[in-house]
Amino acid sequence: MAKPNMKNRLLFPLLLLVLPAFAADEERDATQIVRDAIDHWRGLTSYTVMTMVIHRPDWERSMTMEAWTKGDKRSLVRVMEPKKDRGNGTLTDENSMWTFSPKINRVIKVPSSMMGQSWMGSDFSNKDIARVDDIIDQYDHTVLSTRVEDDITIYEIESIPHEDAAVVWGREVLSIRSDHVVLEHAFYDQDGELVKTLKSLEIGEMGGRTIAQRQRMIKMEEPDEWTEISVDEVEYELELKDSVFTLSNLRNPRD
Amino acid sequence: MRMLPVLIRLAWRYLWRNHRRTIVMLSAISIGAWAMIFMTALTRGMVDQMITDGISVLPGHVQLHNPEYLDDPSITNRVSLTEAELETRYADAGFEAWASRVRVPAVITSERESRGVTLLGIDPIAERDFSFVDYDKVDGRFLESPDDSGVVIGAKLADTLDTEVGKRIVLMSQDPDNEIADRGFRVVGLFHANMETYEDTYAFIGKKTAQKMLRIGDTTTEVVFFGNDYRNVEPTYEKVAAAVDDSMRVSRWTEVDTYLGTMLSVMDGFMLIWVVVIFLALSFGLVNTLVMAVFERVREIGLMLALGMKPASILGQIIIESMMLLAVGLLIGDALAWLTVKPLESGIDISVVAKGMEMFGASSVLYPKLHMDDVILSNVVVLILGFLASLSPAWRASRYEPVEAITKV
Repeated sequence: MAKPNMKNRLLFPLLLLVLPAFAADEERDATQIVRDAIDHWRGLTSYTVMTMVIHRPDWERSMTMEAWTKGDKRSLVRVMEPKKDRGNGTLTDENSMWTFSPKINRVIKVPSSMMGQSWMGSDFSNKDIARVDDIIDQYDHTVLSTRVEDDITIYEIESIPHEDAAVVWGREVLSIRSDHVVLEHAFYDQDGELVKTLKSLEIGEMGGRTIAQRQRMIKMEEPDEWTEISVDEVEYELELKDSVFTLSNLRNPRD
Repeated sequence: MRMLPVLIRLAWRYLWRNHRRTIVMLSAISIGAWAMIFMTALTRGMVDQMITDGISVLPGHVQLHNPEYLDDPSITNRVSLTEAELETRYADAGFEAWASRVRVPAVITSERESRGVTLLGIDPIAERDFSFVDYDKVDGRFLESPDDSGVVIGAKLADTLDTEVGKRIVLMSQDPDNEIADRGFRVVGLFHANMETYEDTYAFIGKKTAQKMLRIGDTTTEVVFFGNDYRNVEPTYEKVAAAVDDSMRVSRWTEVDTYLGTMLSVMDGFMLIWVVVIFLALSFGLVNTLVMAVFERVREIGLMLALGMKPASILGQIIIESMMLLAVGLLIGDALAWLTVKPLESGIDISVVAKGMEMFGASSVLYPKLHMDDVILSNVVVLILGFLASLSPAWRASRYEPVEAITKV
């Protein structure tokens, strides 16, 4: 009888040690899941051709754009279609953003006062484009629930912004599949009311990865207004020179 | 001169011989005087209010800035002195109050709206006495220390942003390298101001928090100083200017807010014009009355001349009559003005036209102010102009030929 007793006595403190570690582990897990999803979507480097449809009750327009990303911070987006917007571009580096319009032939640094404004007339703000990975380091993530659908585990993650984070939302809820595809990204206000949500409407295999091919941003208060982005072509882990992400390349595209 | 008491008696009796006319004239003069003083008291009150309100927001009778700041209020144009240096220079200079602050344009964002605001990073303890925000009347609480992590915004702005005490908002501005500087803040209090524009434009955060967010070490964008009287800022100005060299710009509030400064100097000129305009209207009545009084008495004046009264005495009598009339009228007018202004000094609510008033920076409660200077000015102006106006009828009366005058039908 002495032996099992001994064992129990050892086991209990061990459990105490393990439990908090387990909790911390779970939190890191949630953060990791989010990070993996972003990395999966963006890759180390990527080249995408996408179509953006901006829908309003009385009009709709669509734009085709090509985008390059490298690492966490750098991206370049350039409009291909329609013709009158061709060449309009956006460059982001660190947390700064520049736009270029061939019509006025000027590169403009987007001032902080305009970061909250709409990006190219869509339902995304400039900040949404320039600071994608704020979601990783300015939030606390916890796994709310996991469920299995069609043999794939789906994590529902609640992300609450840090007290001093430059985020207005009360909380955000991400549904991420275990293959790193983000199903939904919902933004709640501080009263817990859903304000807008980014939903993946089509998921498929492209560029060697399973990704969300069509995503739609809907504002709950104006359900007739949405922006949809669909991926037409994508390539991951390609060679991209640093010179792609420069102001001179934003102004004068070199192919 | 021996004649003077007699003349005064004659003049006084004459005034009351035709008491109806005198009373009509008296009421005209007193209403005129009342209008002058009452209207000046109103405008005085309004301008005073505008200026005190304006200064309270500026604030500071004398301010210290980077020379570029007034033209381009951006974070790059900072005061190059650190807090410690300011402290050594100004701590013992004997100002009523002084404080350094960070004032930059910023964007405030809630879940639903975003607005441009003036971000004020302040030391709430140092600013308690001169802030236009009454700390005790804040919904929630006001900032408690320079490194308070909350924000206090106007009640009106909170309404537009659809936010409230306890919720978070984001403030966004830029740092000296033109990089975005932003941070989330919890709204800890909502202030009320007597002008809606103020509630709409200002967001207060702790000074240290602001410095950290904007990455400017312990530098600030302005230092404000208070003397005892906003009308006389020279002593304060000299003290401030003596302690810095040309790399900093020291300005009086009249230079910082030229609109208000001009208002103050225009006010005195405006007063005089107003008094003169009213008097011009009055003077027609006055001259008319006197001319009538002279015409009516042609034969009487002729008789007095014939009896040996000197023309100068006739002139004197008519002038004395008009002066008496004016003096009594003014007395009544002054009394009336005093009686009407006093009870209103606690404020006239004109919120019906608040929007219009606000356009030129006045609040919706008017506090009329009776300045002794204004009263004396209007009285003296009326007496002098009245004297000049009565000269002509008096002169005519004194020039009558006695014989012609007596026989005039």
